[in-house]
Amino acid sequence: MTRTLRESGILWARQMKKLVRIPLLLFFALAQPLIFLLLFSQVFTNLDRLPGFEYDSYLQFLVPSIVALTALNSAFQSGIGMVTDIESGMLDKFLIAPIRRSSVLLGKVFADATRSAAQATVIVLVSLLMGARFATGIPGVAAMTVLAALFGIAWAGLSNIIALRTRNGELTMIVGILITFPVLFLSTAFMPSILLPEWLDTVAKFNPITYIVEALRALVNTGWDWTAIAQALGVTGGLAVVTFAGATRAFRKAIE
Amino acid sequence: MRALEQVDLHAPAGTVLGLLGPNGAGKPTAVRILTTLLRPDGGSARVAGLDVVHQAGELRSRIGLAGQYAAVDENLTGAENLEMVGRLYHLPKGEPRRRAAELLERFELTDAASRLVRTYSGGMRRRLDLAAALVARPPVLFLDEPTTGLDPRSRIGLWETIEGRVAAGTTVLLTTQYLDEADRLADRIAVIDRGEVIATGSADELKDQVGGERLDVTLEDRSQLDAATAALEPLASDRPPAAIDGALCVPLNHRQGAIAEAVRRLDDAGIGIEDVAMHRPTLDDVFLALTGRAAERSEGEEAEGEGAG
Repeated sequence: MTRTLRESGILWARQMKKLVRIPLLLFFALAQPLIFLLLFSQVFTNLDRLPGFEYDSYLQFLVPSIVALTALNSAFQSGIGMVTDIESGMLDKFLIAPIRRSSVLLGKVFADATRSAAQATVIVLVSLLMGARFATGIPGVAAMTVLAALFGIAWAGLSNIIALRTRNGELTMIVGILITFPVLFLSTAFMPSILLPEWLDTVAKFNPITYIVEALRALVNTGWDWTAIAQALGVTGGLAVVTFAGATRAFRKAIE
Repeated sequence: MRALEQVDLHAPAGTVLGLLGPNGAGKPTAVRILTTLLRPDGGSARVAGLDVVHQAGELRSRIGLAGQYAAVDENLTGAENLEMVGRLYHLPKGEPRRRAAELLERFELTDAASRLVRTYSGGMRRRLDLAAALVARPPVLFLDEPTTGLDPRSRIGLWETIEGRVAAGTTVLLTTQYLDEADRLADRIAVIDRGEVIATGSADELKDQVGGERLDVTLEDRSQLDAATAALEPLASDRPPAAIDGALCVPLNHRQGAIAEAVRRLDDAGIGIEDVAMHRPTLDDVFLALTGRAAERSEGEEAEGEGAG
């Protein structure tokens, strides 16, 4: 176990250096969520007048969704890096090194998680500047970044499945973009459950995004809602297990 | 489709086995199997005494791979690339840094050590890749077309480095499509074509196998051609000596001692000699004779520019 951790740590460090050296990678996934944060919080600002909208402002309601959107964007970048490593031969280099093969995937998971957490922190800081308040304070923000990281890992698994199966960077990116908006809009990310059409509200209940967004939303607006947090951890954790089982399988197939 | 059919290779420790073949011959497949990257669907192979399938984990710490597609991380510096490899090979603390510095020095990359690899030229990347393969001092080294696409100067530099490693006891499996490269570096050569080994031996043995070695004799007096032909007849192989452009070409059975013998015979017959030259077949001739095709050269012919630094 310590050996796997040490090995994946080496590969994590490599990804971190890349992130620092190409800051664009960090901000690529952030640009669009930041624009959404600015635009949506203005365009939908009067939604708080609707009956049933129980948040102080649309901004307060929106911040968690933007954190989720950012983590999703970030996650869908993960597979692109995998394709690059396959094409450049770096993956082969790691595979012939005397390290466990699980370390290769795990190093990537840790790097994805770190990137998602860093990006979540940027979104929180920007929303603070825009006047958002966090009911749970700094511990709550820390909890948000942890949840965002887990959420990022879960979806990064899907991105890696696509990447390993297609070995095509563009395709991996496009599929990611195509998935992002439907899954977000078919959840409670931009409209509270009570204001959604009935069919959509039903769909949202089966959408893992809804659970992470609701947990984050509670942390921002009301406080430590342990039920929501447990549900988010359960659903997102479950999703992570499924996508990583798939990614591990695709990885084994790809390296054989 | 099977990429490899009849491949039976053996390389004694401390020697270079050259795997020579055109594009599509199955060289990459052979290398991927021997470096544990690909599981063979039949047959077996041992490297450094270890089975490539059942002892793959143990084997990985004893092999290094460098090649045509220099796998170096563009977003790391040269030093960081080597240090990362050192850590992945579990070198003791402090050792990766020391070893990286040592190799950068040896490969004349010290000045570029703290530069990002994306600023490196093709030749520099290739040297760094080879350095990375040597970090853990593996007893067995796989070099997959190490000089394809390199300019002549980098090529010779890389050859010298490889020769140095072999002199120090490293066993090398070298794949190449360059006959001169195999000729210079390899102790033994396996010629593969369409997934099969079609010939093995040292460069000399392969040339002997093909025959085609001949003695070209230029006479002082051309009118003595017939007498010379008669005198050299016993040296010739199944094909008789023939006069080409005024010189007498004698296909040989054995090249050993052929020159001395020819000179003695002609001298005894009182025939004056202007010039005697041994024409030795190149590996190009060998390849042509074995496959009926000339060795195919690929895009790698054009040398990549070696940048400043």
